[in-house]
This record gives sequence, C-alpha cells and structure tokens, in this order.
Amino acid sequence: MHALQQQYWAVRDYLSPVLKESKFKEHGRITPEEFVAAGDFLTYKFPVWTWEKADAGKTRDFLPADKQYLMTRGVPCLRRATALAYTDADEDAERLVSFGELSSTGKEEDEWVETHAGRPAGADGGVNAGDIDEIPDVDDHLSHAMANTSISSAKADADEIPDIDEIPDMEEEGLEDEDDAAVAAPKVASPAAGVIDGSEVEVAKGNLLQVRTYDVLISYDKYYQTPRLWLIGYDENRNPLTPSQIFQDISAEHAKKTVTIEPFPHSNSLQAASVHPCRHAEVMKKVIERMNQSVIEEQQAQRKGPAAASKDKGPQKKWLFRRASGNNVKDAPPDEDVEGMRVDFYLVVFLKFIASIVPTIEVDSTTAF
Amino acid sequence: MTIIQFQPFSSLVEPAFWHALNNMKIDVLKLSDDFIPVTGSYAPGRSITDRESGQDIAMPSALTLAGDAFSEDPQIPKYAVPVTGLLKNYNTIEEFKAADKTALFNELSDEIWKSIQAGSTAKLTKFLLITFADLKKYRYYYWFAFPAFVAKPAWEAGGDWQSASEALSPETISAVHDALHTQARPFFLVRTSSATPEIAPIEELQTFFEGVPPEHRLVGFVDPSGAPSNPGWPLRNLLAYLSHRHPSLFSDAAGLRVLCWRDAARSRVGIVKGPSSAQDTGARPSAVGWEKNPQGKLAPRMADLAPTMDPKRLAEQAV
Repeated sequence: MHALQQQYWAVRDYLSPVLKESKFKEHGRITPEEFVAAGDFLTYKFPVWTWEKADAGKTRDFLPADKQYLMTRGVPCLRRATALAYTDADEDAERLVSFGELSSTGKEEDEWVETHAGRPAGADGGVNAGDIDEIPDVDDHLSHAMANTSISSAKADADEIPDIDEIPDMEEEGLEDEDDAAVAAPKVASPAAGVIDGSEVEVAKGNLLQVRTYDVLISYDKYYQTPRLWLIGYDENRNPLTPSQIFQDISAEHAKKTVTIEPFPHSNSLQAASVHPCRHAEVMKKVIERMNQSVIEEQQAQRKGPAAASKDKGPQKKWLFRRASGNNVKDAPPDEDVEGMRVDFYLVVFLKFIASIVPTIEVDSTTAF
Repeated sequence: MTIIQFQPFSSLVEPAFWHALNNMKIDVLKLSDDFIPVTGSYAPGRSITDRESGQDIAMPSALTLAGDAFSEDPQIPKYAVPVTGLLKNYNTIEEFKAADKTALFNELSDEIWKSIQAGSTAKLTKFLLITFADLKKYRYYYWFAFPAFVAKPAWEAGGDWQSASEALSPETISAVHDALHTQARPFFLVRTSSATPEIAPIEELQTFFEGVPPEHRLVGFVDPSGAPSNPGWPLRNLLAYLSHRHPSLFSDAAGLRVLCWRDAARSRVGIVKGPSSAQDTGARPSAVGWEKNPQGKLAPRMADLAPTMDPKRLAEQAV
C-alpha cells in the first residue's frame, strides 16, 4: 500500500508544474529560485548549513546541480520530545509565541502555542531508548509492529533495538596491552569548568540525558512548492536511529501523523524521516503575514530615522532582525525600500516553524560559528 | 604535573555510507577483500548550552564517513578536515572475526610512522576500518582503529588548559579563524612575533619558528574534542611527529604551547611538556587506538539498518 502511495506521489510530483511566479506572501509557497535564494542566505548567515549535490540520476533540473538540497550535520538533541509529555499541570507553562505585534491583528487563534516552556523533562526522559528488557524474537516483528502503533509504548522500542546477542562476541583482551594512561576515560567529567561530556549520562536533577545527533536535510518539494525537512538520527553511541526512536523526538501532535519515513528524493537508496509538507504553505503564510507586517513597520521606522527605530525595540518583534542579520541590524542599507520581508528569510522562518514540530532537536541553534 | 588525557576519536557512519558500501560490494568489490581507500572528515568539537539546565554540554565531533566516502573527491563539510583511511571488507562473519587485527593495526602504524620519518603530516590521522556487510539482514559489523603513538613517559600539561580568548589576543584568534576558513587544515603553526600573526603548515616548522621566542610560538590543530581539558586524539600523533622531528621544541623547560582549535569561543590553549630525556632511537613507538563499542569493550560495533532499509520493515512502518 505504502509502495503504491509512493509511486503515486512520484508521478504526481513529476507531473506538477514548476512554480514560476513568486507569491510567497500570498500563499506561503516559494519557487525553486526563491528556494535557492533563501538557501543561499541561510548558508551565508549560518555556515553550518551547506548545499549538497544529489546522487547520480537524482538531480532535479529545476535546481542548480550543486544546490539540490541543504544539509547540516550533527544537530544536537538533548532530550526526547516524549519526555515533554503533556499533563494538565503544564498548562501554565504554555506560552504564546507571536510573530509580530499581538495587538496589530487581535486574532488570537493564529498564535502559536509553545507548550512546556522551560519545563524540566520528566523523570523518564529518554530512558525508553535504553530500555532493552525485552528483546523479542526476530520472527516476532509482525506482532510487535502492532504494538508499535502507539508511540507512548516503551515496548515499541525494544523491537527496534538491535539484538546484542547477534553482535559477534569478539572482545579482544590482548589487542591493546598498553595500559594507556593518556586516554581520556569516557566517564571523566570536568565539573570544574561546568562542562559535561555529551556521551555521558547526566545525573544532575535525576534526568537522564541522552544526547542524540541529527543530520537535518531540507529539500524542495515540487508538488507542495515548499521546503521539506528530512531527519537522519544517531543515538548517543552514534548508531543510526530507528524510525520509532526518531518519533520520540517529534512532538506528539505530529509524530506518525505528519512525520513518515520516505525515500529521500536526492538519493538512490536513502530512507529518512520526513515532515510531510502538506500544511507547510498554510502555516508559513500565517507566519509570514505576521512577520511581514512587523518588518514593514520596522523598515518604515528606519526610514523615518534611526532614532525612531531604536525607540520601541520590543524584544519579541526584533528577533527576525537579530537572527537574520547576525546581531547587526545596521547591516541593512539605510536606503532600502519598504518591501516587507524578503524571501531570503523564508528558510530562517521555516526553521522556526520546524522547531515546533521537533521541539528537542536544535534545528534553530544558529548560534554556532 | 598532570598527564594529558586525550579524548579518543569516535566514529560516526552515516547510513548513506552503508548504502554506498552495498553498491561497492556488489558492483566493484564482489569477493575481493583488498584494502580500499575511504575518506572521512572531522570537524572542530563543539559544546552546546542546555536550555533547561543552563549547563554546557560537550559535543565532540565524530570522525564521520558520509555517502561519498569512496569517491576520489568527496564533499567535506565546511570547517571540517578530511581524513583518509583504509577499508577492508570481509566476505563472511567468520573471516571478519578471524581477521588478524594486530597485524593490520601494526601495518598501518608502520605506515604512519614512516610518513612521520619522511616529514609529512598527511597521514597522521589515517585510520583503519574493517567491515562485514550482512546484505540480507541489512546489518553492518564494523570496527574502526585510529592508531596513536604512545609517548613514554606520557605527555604532561604544564598548568591548566585555558580558554583561547583569555590566552591569545583577538588578532591571533581571528587570524587563525580566517586562515582555517580559507583553507581547512588539520594541523598548523602560528607565530605572533610580528605585528600580524602568521599561520604556516607544520612541515615548515624549522624555518617558520627560527628565531621566534617560545612564547610567540603556537602549534595548533583542529580539535574534535569538546571537553575542556582533554585535547582530541589527533594531537597525539602530532606530538609524536614533533618530538621525533623537532625534539628541541620540548627541550625547553617552558614546554610547547598548543592550541586546540574548536568552534567560536571554545578553543583551548595549554602547555605541553614532553619527555625531554627520552632517547629517540627512531624505532616506532607502540600504538593504540581500536575504537571501543558502546559497552566500552574492545569489540566491533554493529549498525542495524533494517528499520530503514528492509522493504518489509518499511511497509510495517507506514501504517
């Protein structure tokens, strides 16, 4: 069934025309050219992102050959999203995330609810992955697949954990006879400097910290005319994550509904978890509308004079500038026309949006470098 | 004096690499188990701030093999440095188990030592990877070795590791930053004796450091470690290289200043004091460096890609 669906998607994608006209402010969709422009901006401002080439035969001709998709490697993910499980007690931790002036529209239903802000992860944060009490028989996959349908089920993961019995037992005692004092022991923490090693288990606060890393890829979806996010994850031992492990890092509202495992379009064989883009355009449109308004106001204020611009620096309203221009608002030429939000910012905004779907993966940690 | 403890290399193999190995095995290698060259990379170590606890968490950079590791001109991520290695793929799990790992390891260690004697730094981080690909079950057994020469007596740190922003001038940091961003290189020299700091490859040490007082000399390397007082694995062979080629660097009581280059503000500077009295006979020091498995044992690792490669499992997944 799934294979059929994928065939259908492939055909639909092939038949759909390449979007030519830019209307990202009206409907949130972008053209391939705009995708490239936004990607160029992203890679320029945040060099952790790079353009990648496609595998042979998987190059889409509406994008430049050397700019097929965007990638960043080793994005940290400190906790599991399932550890942020929602309880009634957390309601006051909700916070409306607004993009622009709240009062300007008064449409509260458009606000973004960021739940569990600042809430410490639950005691069972991330222990699930290490839960290997139950290693099922290999033939048992089908019956366990049923158990898999519930994401909160800890047992679901046991199914996916590689059976350690099958790893050949070949520990070699005599391989390295050097008693090598110069090797940093894996558990050597350096509390003095307040830095702990990511591969360690954090004992503080009783949280188990299992730092996963993700390779995050953004491709251009021709059918939906939006960027599309792909995730390839690794556990704290740098083993590839299984789909159900990846679902632990996706907020409950989205896991298994909008996130699926699909063949990555620019690779001949790779499968990756992907956030389905069917609602991207809608959400992006809303976000862009709000931001555009505040950007226009900002630009008008700037034209009036720098004094006026600096006057009402609301913290919530400036984040786009802060983020996008690397702490330097004055980068922008002062005589720039009032044009609202430029399409270059699209992917920066897109990452903000994605951050709500994968709350614990630091896709938006654009502070490195 | 404390013995310097180096953060061992850790490996990260992208699923795309296993896919590439599949194709390689079926189309090119077939039943051959000859060495094939592979290229990986490692990036400067990072640390990130946990938003909930406010703690800094060290994120060491792993030696990463990507999908294009077999190509002659692989794409290396920005700021990362390429590192070459040898891959030996066995046809059966029995052969994999029975492989003479000590011999393979010594062979590579000899090769690295010869390159040191020849004065090249190109092979200092060369690694070995033995694999067995169970193509039917989508399971990959593998074991990395990152040979590093053991110094006797061990390297010692003269004082604490300092943050580079405290120990060095902003000009020096930005000079290194710019130089590495124009051309990524795993090892480099810095001299701060003239008005503008200068960068040079290790091979030019003799002329570059001539007449430069020790406090203006700096030996740097791209450090995959994120731990504040544990420099990364590449430094071990760099020190072996320096003490063999330029023993005079360590004869001085002040020691040698080393820059562990990491991302942004997290680079570290420290003094390394060496075995000044060691008689260098030119014989190869012993080497260590097999990667441990997640259980901390000297044993191979396994990547199980069935969940994302097996068509059956994928179908179950897509309910």
